[in-house]
Amino acid sequence: MSRWYLALCTAGLLAFSSFVPAQEDDWDDWGEDDAWSETSEPTWTGFVEVAAGSRWQEDDAVGRYATLGELRARLERTWTFDGALANNRLDLRLDALGDAVVDDLDASVRELAWGFSTGRWDWRTGRQVLTWGTGDLLFLNDLFPKGWVSFFIGRDDEYLKVPSDAVRLTGYFDAVNLDIVAIPSFTPDEWLTGERLSFYSPAAGGIVAPEPPLSAHDPSMSVANTEWALRAFRNVQGNELALYGYSGFYHQPSPTGPNGALEYAEMRALGASWRRPLGPGLFNAEVSRYDSTDDPDGTDPAIPNDQYRFLLGYEWEAARNFNVAFQYYVEWTLNHDALLANSPWPEDEVDERRTWLTNRLTWRTRQERVTWSLFTFWSPTDNDHYLRPQVTWRMNDTWQLAAGGNLFGGRHPNTFFAQFEDDSNVYARLRFNY
Amino acid sequence: MSLPDTLKMFTAVAALSVAASVCAQAPDADTIVERANLAAYYAGADGRSEARMRIFDAQGNEQRRQFTVLRRNPTPAGDQQFLVVFSQPADVRGTTFLVHKNVGGDDDRWLYLPGLDLVKRIAAGDKRTSFVGSHYYYEDVSGRRPDEDHHELVGTDDEHFQLRHRPVDPSSVEFAEYTTWIDRETWLPMRIEYRDASGRPIRRVEVQKVETIGGHPTVTASRISDLVGGGHTDMQFRFIDYDLGLPDGVFTERALRNPPADWLERPGS
Repeated sequence: MSRWYLALCTAGLLAFSSFVPAQEDDWDDWGEDDAWSETSEPTWTGFVEVAAGSRWQEDDAVGRYATLGELRARLERTWTFDGALANNRLDLRLDALGDAVVDDLDASVRELAWGFSTGRWDWRTGRQVLTWGTGDLLFLNDLFPKGWVSFFIGRDDEYLKVPSDAVRLTGYFDAVNLDIVAIPSFTPDEWLTGERLSFYSPAAGGIVAPEPPLSAHDPSMSVANTEWALRAFRNVQGNELALYGYSGFYHQPSPTGPNGALEYAEMRALGASWRRPLGPGLFNAEVSRYDSTDDPDGTDPAIPNDQYRFLLGYEWEAARNFNVAFQYYVEWTLNHDALLANSPWPEDEVDERRTWLTNRLTWRTRQERVTWSLFTFWSPTDNDHYLRPQVTWRMNDTWQLAAGGNLFGGRHPNTFFAQFEDDSNVYARLRFNY
Repeated sequence: MSLPDTLKMFTAVAALSVAASVCAQAPDADTIVERANLAAYYAGADGRSEARMRIFDAQGNEQRRQFTVLRRNPTPAGDQQFLVVFSQPADVRGTTFLVHKNVGGDDDRWLYLPGLDLVKRIAAGDKRTSFVGSHYYYEDVSGRRPDEDHHELVGTDDEHFQLRHRPVDPSSVEFAEYTTWIDRETWLPMRIEYRDASGRPIRRVEVQKVETIGGHPTVTASRISDLVGGGHTDMQFRFIDYDLGLPDGVFTERALRNPPADWLERPGS
């Protein structure tokens, strides 16, 4: 990535911002009745953002410093329609991205979804971000696609969620609320291909960044390959209870195709969660069981084994404007003996019970305009860690600056976070909202 | 409702009827607080209002927020529900905030972030923190429970009852005491001043405009000032309507994710 590209991006952003009136007209005449902007009136909003991030040393495998260097423009609009259908609306969020790290220009639809209500049911069809579960950056029953690369290089948190092309039907009843999601065209996680970040390869016995980058074969769009995600949830006197079910695919590929080609193995999941106020804070617990339907006895080392996942969490405001949260998380791999017995690299396989402890510290200062945060993953079983410090400065309603780091480390390069040690990076993002 | 609460309410009702019949006599502090609570937070069985804020820091830098509030209180001084839907600025547009205010305990609060499709529950502890970056606290929006303070009537003039309030649990708040000036006619708190342990004023709320809407005296402009760090927030309310018949369903997770357009629309539009 060349520096002039970023300089150009920044200049472009500044030039752009001077042309946009920033909706001053809506707000200018404070005190005048007619100055109240109509809330239901559709308007184009969005942002332009320039972002840069770098390792502090060259990654031998990837062969460069840069992790993030991009100019992103967002267009957003909601249209509402009167008529027979209640809450009839169309939401659009569109991103245009110029990416200097991988030399790519790209436009992507983050959201294009039509929603309405009929009686007790809310319908939403189209591309949409889907989220549920109680974990904070830990996902048990949320089996919707994740943007891990975006997450690891310091893009906005929003990009940790990858949208799905789905039909979502939510029913609200006295006894229980229901979510039924069908995803006919599979969207995988944004997983590590080696294009931008390096990772550990058991076959190579070290850190690699494959060239050309890895790619996988998506399941074809068919009725049989439709992902189903179900949730039944209810709030009982402040206790948020939920049951979850999922049938579909792992969102990260396995070398199960001909000649080790990457494909997505089938899986099912069942789980439950509970969240409630406790003392001064909030407590949450979640459990999920993953059934690896292509490898039920765990003898195929290429395919993930069945798992139980457990989560306990607590968060509270420890001091004014200072929040603290802890999570305890266990991934219990079943048939672990079979996995080790069949694996060509048993020393690289995950522990039977991999444990993570996480901590989130958030300190809001200067009237919430400056937020300091640190999210820490630490695994006592893997002896590795991942630190996410960040400071965001909301200069005003239009300008925002964020800076932070993604710091990985650990004792052995074959554990989940330690493998990214050379990918450790710092980044900054400047955003102009319009 | 616990027995002491029931007794308190009974006492309050009794005190009110006595106050009404012997209107020359000033009511006691608890009665004034009960009435002020009703006037400030319980007008009508439900209500709708649009609000906007100008937030100024000590350097004079300005930020703005605009949102619509729906409120429902099936019983006076009882549990309440609030739904707040943000429309400005651009980066918080579509964010919604739901409060189930429980008179007998901590409030339940949720925030919905549409970009992440995330329903975020907010811990009960941090209710005296900034509401969306303004000088208003979450607790100022939904009201502080009268039984969280000891009340004392310290003065009466032609226009106001002046009361002093001390927290039952001083460790739960940033102030040592606060004083309110309550309008004798409308029962609305017109001025609130918070002081620290040394008696220094740290925060002030001033009502700047009251209009009678649907028979309810209603605050339509107020200012809150940070007397320590500097800075203030001006808030205005418009397009207010009472007794709309808002159903239960407007204050559920459904509405949080999918705000009810029919009820959020401006009256007459």
